[in-house]
Amino acid sequence: MGGASEAVARVGEEPDVVTGESAPAARAPAGQASAGWKVLPIVEGLVLLIALVLPWVLQDYLTVFATRVVILALFALSFDLVWGYAGIMSFGQALFFGAAGYGVALMARDLNVTSILLILPAGTLIGLTAALLLGGFLLLGRYPSSVIFVSLGTLTGSYAADRLARGWYYLGGQNGIPSIPPLTLGSYEFEEGPVYYYMVLGILVVVYLLCRFLVRSQFGLALAGLRENEQRIAFFGYKAQHLKAIIFAVGGTIAGLAGSLYAFHEGFVWPNMLGVVFSTQVVLYVLFGGSGTLIGAVIGTVIIEGVSFWLSDNYRDVWPIILGVLLLLVIMFRPLGLISFVLGERERVGSFGKGPKASKEAGNAAP
Amino acid sequence: MASTFAAVFEIVSFGAIIVLVVLGLGIIASMMGIFNFAQGEFVLLGAYVTYLAYAHGAPVWAGMVAAPFVVGALGFVLEALIIRRFYAAPIVAMLGTYALGLIIRESVRGLIGGFYLTVPEPIGGSIDLGSVHISAWRFTIIVITLLVMGACYLLLARTSFGLRVRATLENPALARASGISTPLIYGATFAFGAALAGLAGALIVPVFSLFADLGIRFLIQGFVAVMVGGVGSFIGPVAGAGLIGTLSAALPWVMSPVVADVLVFVLAIAFIKFRPQGLIAGKGV
Repeated sequence: MGGASEAVARVGEEPDVVTGESAPAARAPAGQASAGWKVLPIVEGLVLLIALVLPWVLQDYLTVFATRVVILALFALSFDLVWGYAGIMSFGQALFFGAAGYGVALMARDLNVTSILLILPAGTLIGLTAALLLGGFLLLGRYPSSVIFVSLGTLTGSYAADRLARGWYYLGGQNGIPSIPPLTLGSYEFEEGPVYYYMVLGILVVVYLLCRFLVRSQFGLALAGLRENEQRIAFFGYKAQHLKAIIFAVGGTIAGLAGSLYAFHEGFVWPNMLGVVFSTQVVLYVLFGGSGTLIGAVIGTVIIEGVSFWLSDNYRDVWPIILGVLLLLVIMFRPLGLISFVLGERERVGSFGKGPKASKEAGNAAP
Repeated sequence: MASTFAAVFEIVSFGAIIVLVVLGLGIIASMMGIFNFAQGEFVLLGAYVTYLAYAHGAPVWAGMVAAPFVVGALGFVLEALIIRRFYAAPIVAMLGTYALGLIIRESVRGLIGGFYLTVPEPIGGSIDLGSVHISAWRFTIIVITLLVMGACYLLLARTSFGLRVRATLENPALARASGISTPLIYGATFAFGAALAGLAGALIVPVFSLFADLGIRFLIQGFVAVMVGGVGSFIGPVAGAGLIGTLSAALPWVMSPVVADVLVFVLAIAFIKFRPQGLIAGKGV
């Protein structure tokens, strides 16, 4: 075996010598950047740039729509972290999103609390607590849980919460909680529009950068190992279940933050926010854009929401069918999502931490 | 006394419906290791076929006979085209079948609109037992469920086809080496599971009427039932379905329906957590 692979390697090297410079480019798969030229920062920069100028070019009602998309992108990020990086299929991510939404809506309705300085921490905390409880129950324990159990367990949790919200008079039943007052900071009120947009975008960028740091750290490396081969990571001495519970809680925290922003932006919360509808929606975003890349989750959200907004006037009935077909095609033929058209495998996997190896590679790549 | 009997009948008949729906789900999950998210939509399709037959003037029972064959044939085609790619990865299979279900559900929604369409019961009226009247059709559903259960058991346990299916489940490589065409067996099993869902949909449509989200309400209940019963055997999911169905029909009689609804799921998940192998562990029939 060893001899054969060496031979292959040697054959692979030969064209370099013969044809010179054109060979490396030819050998690199589509979109795989040659040394020193990375696609990911460019994509990220472009998305940020577009997001920054949007309110100037869009009409006001479209800015409101864009704000919603940015919040949903934050939500998608939370799912991507859990599924794309740690391989935990959370089919009930909306549970944390909706629980935080309901929680802050109740704070606003019953306690008259609308200050952003209280609401966002509270929503985040609700998401964290819910995720710790559910994740702790589903993931921890003497025996490791099967992936099927975790995915169906989260799905069931979210479905049960949906049914509870629908039937509970205190939570408004089918109609949810309407007319939530605007978010405030001192005497200033965050109305829908550019200010809310930039506030949300700022939060998204901060969370995105934190996530980016997290998944590229040594912890992220352990997570990636978990996703690829859980048993091997366990043999290395990692507490695989603890790692999973931690990242699940982080995901829930971000979902909670997104949920509280969403509740105040829309001005109402309703049972779908907790249930299967939003849970599967966020799965669609991430799979579509590309799981395992943070920017893929953002792009997937923007594309799906954008196209459905655009089509909803004329093709309202057909759009869900098209969405299903596209999703099926992506799952079958592009399991890494749309982002894989421009992003090569090597860059998606990336490098982790700041080991001595990384700097040496950078040095070698120079010629 | 009379009201107790009526309650028991109500509970048993709902339990029978859940068993009927879960039967196909359980066979696909146990024999193929796939949690089919499109199963609810197969139920929906069965109901839709029955409605179509009725709407075009055919007798309702004719639609009910046709439904399992139509849905089973569709299942066979879908398995060959799509599901086959997902066997290696159970999570991807979930997502893929979810997408399939989305397509089917939204197509049916487009065809019927947002309406609730009613289909009459082929056997109407009620059976009188002294002072108690029970719906004749619901009673028929219970009988048919028992018959289908028995037939499935015999098919899997006593026929050579059942033997091949079980061999394929137990050890695919050895089954192939013994000359069993495993892809064909997988296709047939999936088609069979889909046909059972189609039959369930056809039988329950007079009770629940036809609407696009008909399948969803059974899907999660079905998954939970399969997990509670235990994946890997035929009896397990059936037992789980009986338990979950009975529990979710019985609890609302003793407590508020909202709490009962949620309690069933919480209990089920807790049960699975502490007994992952389910009520009935082990493979085979």
